[in-house]
Amino acid sequence: MIHEAMEVQNSKHGHIIEVCGDVPAVGTSLGGRRICGEAACGFSDAKTSSKDANERSASMRKLLIAVILCVIFMSVEVVGGIKANSLAILTDAAHLLSDVAAFAISLFSLWASGWEATPHQSYGFFRIEILGALVSIQMIWLLAGILVYEAIARIINDTGEVQGFLMFVVAAFGLVVNIAMALLLGHDHGHGGHGHGHGDHGHSHGGHDEMHNHGITITTHHLPHHHHHEAKHDDEHYHAHEADHTEPLLKTCSEGEMKSIDAAKQKKQRNINVQGAYLHVLGDSIQSVGVMIGGAIIWYKPEWKIIDLICTLAFSAIVLGTTIRMLRNILEVLMESTPREIDATKLEKGLCEMHEVVAIHELHIWAITVGKVLLACHVIIKREADADMVLNKVIDYIRREYNISHVTIQIERQ
Amino acid sequence: MEKSDSFKYYQPSEKESQNSWNAGFGLSVSDRRLAFSRQASFDQAREPHTPVSINLNDPEKPLLARSVSSIDIPTGPFYSLDESNKYSGEGNGSAQKFSFLSFVFSILRIMRSGNRYMKRLFVMISLNVAYSTAELVIGLFTGRVGLVSDAFHLTFGCGLLTFSLFAMATSRKQPDRVYTYGYKRLEALSAFTNALFLLFMSFSLAVEGLHAFIQDESEHKHYLIVSAVTNLLVNLIGVWFFRNYARINLVYRNAEDMNYHSVCLHVLADSIRSAGLILASWLLSLGVQNAEVLCLGLVSVAVFMLVMPLFKASGGILLQMAPPRIPTSALSKCWRQITAREDVVEIAQARFWEFVPGHVVGSVSIQVKKGMDDRTTLQFVHGLYHDLGVQNLTVQTDDV
Repeated sequence: MIHEAMEVQNSKHGHIIEVCGDVPAVGTSLGGRRICGEAACGFSDAKTSSKDANERSASMRKLLIAVILCVIFMSVEVVGGIKANSLAILTDAAHLLSDVAAFAISLFSLWASGWEATPHQSYGFFRIEILGALVSIQMIWLLAGILVYEAIARIINDTGEVQGFLMFVVAAFGLVVNIAMALLLGHDHGHGGHGHGHGDHGHSHGGHDEMHNHGITITTHHLPHHHHHEAKHDDEHYHAHEADHTEPLLKTCSEGEMKSIDAAKQKKQRNINVQGAYLHVLGDSIQSVGVMIGGAIIWYKPEWKIIDLICTLAFSAIVLGTTIRMLRNILEVLMESTPREIDATKLEKGLCEMHEVVAIHELHIWAITVGKVLLACHVIIKREADADMVLNKVIDYIRREYNISHVTIQIERQ
Repeated sequence: MEKSDSFKYYQPSEKESQNSWNAGFGLSVSDRRLAFSRQASFDQAREPHTPVSINLNDPEKPLLARSVSSIDIPTGPFYSLDESNKYSGEGNGSAQKFSFLSFVFSILRIMRSGNRYMKRLFVMISLNVAYSTAELVIGLFTGRVGLVSDAFHLTFGCGLLTFSLFAMATSRKQPDRVYTYGYKRLEALSAFTNALFLLFMSFSLAVEGLHAFIQDESEHKHYLIVSAVTNLLVNLIGVWFFRNYARINLVYRNAEDMNYHSVCLHVLADSIRSAGLILASWLLSLGVQNAEVLCLGLVSVAVFMLVMPLFKASGGILLQMAPPRIPTSALSKCWRQITAREDVVEIAQARFWEFVPGHVVGSVSIQVKKGMDDRTTLQFVHGLYHDLGVQNLTVQTDDV
């Protein structure tokens, strides 16, 4: 019996009502969901890939708008700088150019991560997102260094007081531009994208809603999601269990990936590339503030040049501090470490508590990108146990409890 | 935990690995002998948790017995369940892995116990730091902006080299709960970061050349000759230290290869840049027009070509590309051999990726007929892929 998956989007209320869930996109065997049809299947169930594509196109749209805005502002600055024959304005235009470069990298990573998996890249191209984010962050660091260098150069070559006022104005303009783009990139409440809920639905916290009984019992609930909401984790875990018990017939439906788009929006802060671009813009605004303060000080009292340098150094340090968290996430993914949100010990304990399982070893949990987790382990079972049954049990347990859908389990007998 | 007999013949000591590595240098990149042989990775015996061993030659030990097979419970501290506090302890330790204190301690450890490349790198870094501080101070006091910019460039480079050193030191740690494959990926990451920095440098040199083309301010390069020459000398010392790795295309046997290669390319690119500046000054003094643009462009292109292969290789590792050293023909041969077995219906998926060059991880999912003995199938599949050099393999057998 293979149920069909239907996603009915009720755009008026902005929720996703999902009716049943065995995804027939892959083989016709009963264990259909755990085997992908082709050798080089990426992470392609019908559901997740379309959700991914939605998310991706929404983020790409945001970034594209940001790039276009940036280019417009940059050309304005270049024209103004050439007309006024001022190096400061041209330098700021160069900074905007670096913004464009960062956005371009993010756009490219976003686009590339949607490519189909090939035999050479059997897991798909999702990692490109992470590498692109790494490159963006390197650029942020590079730019911070360049700004500090410029501050020092300003001290060495002092060419008169007019410098201060000009600096101030240019930096103010840059600040306005950056704030506009930060708002654009950070604004999470789903303009663009298909029928995403409006801002008021954005943050439904935990629990499940039983809604719109159409004869078939349907549950829309927010599964225990593991990303960045550790405080609410246990709460939602408990609720999801309740949902499981009340719908025994649809047990297979409620397990697995029944995330509504609301939950997806709420659990992923932002796509990591959009986050990187946002950080870049944020860093630029912080530094514009610093340059503005420096310019104001030089304008007001040209002797206190050293304060400009101190300001720049301080603000550069702040900018670098904002990147630390994302850098840590990136590093953890790139080093194939167990993702923070998954407790490997608990998983192992839970698996060993099953009757037929004797021991677990070679447990590896790692993430392809933030949010897509894989697992591989060897399970030793009792000699007389039914391997296939245990395999199903283990896979369902992992999928249910930890929401890891790409698992490879090697069953060995004692 | 006992390791299989098939590994007894190789006990890699540091010296031996250096020598056989040097000997292997004569082989071309496409030498297929190395792709298949077990010597492909020197690290296999050193990591007790990596399994691979199916000893098919020993008739006495039952196949897949606990004492012999790969699928053994390691008796190490990693997997015991009642040490949940250990997990939190180690989790905290790993979370603080990048803290400053651990960084200082790792420096001290290097001084005592590093291998010779680490010591050389440390010497290089100290030289660079000393030189760049001197340049910065002199530049600040005499008011020459060129010196200050050069000092900044050097400082960035030093920061990267320090990260490489840190990667070398940390990668020796054993795998723990959070980093289940170990820490060697850091070396690939540092290679990638170095390559990225060099790409940035090449790009910025191109921009500088363009800038010099548009505006004629070639004069200020003249008094940087002394600094350029000293820079060149310092970097040439670095190239001499890492002379084994001064090639563009390199076969990477293990993680350290990639890291050392990236460090060597870094200092090589820096010396090319200094040489280019000296050349530009000399040509300018000879009166050649647009000498600066020419030299900068040349240097930029040279650095780009130098770095591209390393960038692609380390990027491939980080992107989890299929291992480049295992040719697809070998993989399809394995595929055919497995499907030819009578109890196998089909292979659903087989994915391989490299953790570091030389350490291949795979996960295979096959569909078997019901009721067959999965033990023989498992052992066959493991043996087959082990011969290709796949260390960690997980095989899922689904009944159809």
